[in-house]
Amino acid sequence: MSRNTVAGWSFILPNFVGFAALTLLPVAVLFYVAFTNWNVFGVAEWTGTANFRRMWNDASFWTALRNTVYYAVFHIPLTLAAALGLALLLNRKLRGVRFFRTIAFFPYITSIVAIAVVWNQLFSPEYGPINALLGAVGVDNPPGWTASATWSMPAVIIVGTWRYMGYYMLLFLAGLQTIPAQLYEAAETDGASPWQRFVHVTLPGLRHTTFFVTVLLTIESFKVFDLILVMTGGGPGQSTLVLSQYIYQKGFEENQFGYASAVSIVLFAICFGITVIQFMVNKRRNS
Amino acid sequence: MKRAIPAVISAATALTLVLAGCGGGDEPVDPNAPVTITLAGWSLSSTPEFKTLADGFKATHPNVTVELKEYAAGNDYDTQMITDLAAGTAPDVYVMKNLKNFYTYQSGGQLLDVSDATSGLDSVPALASYQVDGKTYAAPYRQDSWVLFYNKDLFAKAKVAPPDGSWTWDDYTDAAKRLHTGLKGAGSNATGAYQHTFQSTVQGFALAQTPNADLLSGDFGYLKPYYERSLDLQAAGAQPTFGTAKTNKLTYQAQFGKQQSAMLLMGTWYVATLLNQRKSGDADTFQWGIAPAPQFDKSTTGTSATPVTFGDPTALGINPKISKSKTAAAKDFLKYAAGPEAGKALAGIGITPAQVTDAVTASLFGLDGVPQDDLSKFAYATHTIKPENPVSKHTAGLQNLLNETHSAILSDSKGVDAELSKAQSRAKNEVLNQ
Repeated sequence: MSRNTVAGWSFILPNFVGFAALTLLPVAVLFYVAFTNWNVFGVAEWTGTANFRRMWNDASFWTALRNTVYYAVFHIPLTLAAALGLALLLNRKLRGVRFFRTIAFFPYITSIVAIAVVWNQLFSPEYGPINALLGAVGVDNPPGWTASATWSMPAVIIVGTWRYMGYYMLLFLAGLQTIPAQLYEAAETDGASPWQRFVHVTLPGLRHTTFFVTVLLTIESFKVFDLILVMTGGGPGQSTLVLSQYIYQKGFEENQFGYASAVSIVLFAICFGITVIQFMVNKRRNS
Repeated sequence: MKRAIPAVISAATALTLVLAGCGGGDEPVDPNAPVTITLAGWSLSSTPEFKTLADGFKATHPNVTVELKEYAAGNDYDTQMITDLAAGTAPDVYVMKNLKNFYTYQSGGQLLDVSDATSGLDSVPALASYQVDGKTYAAPYRQDSWVLFYNKDLFAKAKVAPPDGSWTWDDYTDAAKRLHTGLKGAGSNATGAYQHTFQSTVQGFALAQTPNADLLSGDFGYLKPYYERSLDLQAAGAQPTFGTAKTNKLTYQAQFGKQQSAMLLMGTWYVATLLNQRKSGDADTFQWGIAPAPQFDKSTTGTSATPVTFGDPTALGINPKISKSKTAAAKDFLKYAAGPEAGKALAGIGITPAQVTDAVTASLFGLDGVPQDDLSKFAYATHTIKPENPVSKHTAGLQNLLNETHSAILSDSKGVDAELSKAQSRAKNEVLNQ
């Protein structure tokens, strides 16, 4: 082995050992546990595909899956639009633009528990300022937000969008800065309107960033856990129960680690499948 | 260099074997040799019961030191304990906070048989919950029960007669509504009652009091009248709605302690909390009392009858990986913790021990700030306590789905009947068939 190879390995090894011990190994074990009945203590009993067959007839699993899709379908486009809008707004040479960028990024670095407490109070059906405002503009029957099975998911989606848009805005800002200014100048000389410049210069220039953001956002949306856990705990009823919380419930609260692992594999397969599709679509477009 | 590596590995292996051998030695135990056993607890700075037990035991067993090891509070306690037990790093003696997870620990082989240590404790009512196939696997040291706390000043202000021990749930509902009107008339914003968001506040009483109610049957019809009364009180404005309590993160401590509500159904642990909060200024100073929980019907009301309520015991178990030289000391500790001496010491800090005797009642009511009326003493000392979480493989799963049912019914539900029938079919298809 050459000196360089040894040096290279010695740099990679600590990180790789950590990754292998804390991520790779548990994931490999998960794939085994999913085919067993295991309550943490003692030996896991091999049950073949029983956990997956159980899932098929488990109404709560389907509720959790439906809710996860509900969250993703609204959260992804809303966050994408909000983040891109913010990035366009804050990409100009304005006074205090850095200040506004920081403000927009703030929700992302704020403690999730604090966010949940404050938003829950804002959403409070009887005493919250949001319903007070709705009442003031003439809404007679304002929603019950997190206290209502119908409105709890929209409430969570609003807070989720608010929380993550700052982070994705930052990625879009970085993307916007890679678009050469000459393209805009040329378009302007040709008499393109601001909308035409956005559609024909900005959007194509942001293609790679948009792809990257969409992939990250999709995975993040399907794995949503902490926000919902602290805001609604999955309730009222099962109205905001999502897959990752269902996994936690079955595993850590009911000690059914085999079944919880099987549900994790389904969640993994969904995230993996959608990402593969996104890559394929992107590749076709590129060619 | 190349030869050094195998040498290091064999040395390490040899050392590990030697160390492992030490732990499992069968040498005779000297009863007076100094021993240290470790005990799991939570929030050690604000939960004095563990230190009280450790210090009290040291007084009679000078050679044994009980070393406290802090664990997470709340629901995370069991997650952390299960992980540590599975990893073999758990303390020698650990606490089971409620009965819900006893099945997991016992069936998983994580509890030493302690039948010999608990044989003299037959009169402790909760002991039976920890017996499987004639063997005992844990010693209960505290047993809370749910009672009705009430604010005498607010009752007087609203000109409503305070509880006299004869209340059924209809009397309670009626009083809450009259308090609501009376307090409003007297210019107070306080509500008649406060029902905390725990599922226990409805389901615990319904399960304990309704004849033939059985959690494990998967038939939840017994919950219906209890939910209807809660919804009735919410609609009348006599108690804050479930949604308000949830979204505003109301705490029962502030709600009763700051005189926002005249009545509160809560476990007897709240006595110690209320006393402490008065000292720290987190609660107001006012006249209060304890009454028996309202009853299913008249047959169990009145101070000549025994009211029925619920409450899970808290118990100590021994980690089977404890070294043999410590087992005797650990068993002695369990015997002490569940016995009368520890009971008196625990009552002295406001904790309700597993067996309430006259000495325990005297000790608790000797504390500064505890009401002195006869009904309070009766409510504290006399009742039949049923477990909230009957020991079974299915308990954790059923309680999770009943918790979801609880929030569904008390928010903008599809009606009590629809939610209960959904819960029943879920129980059958998702829990009881597993």
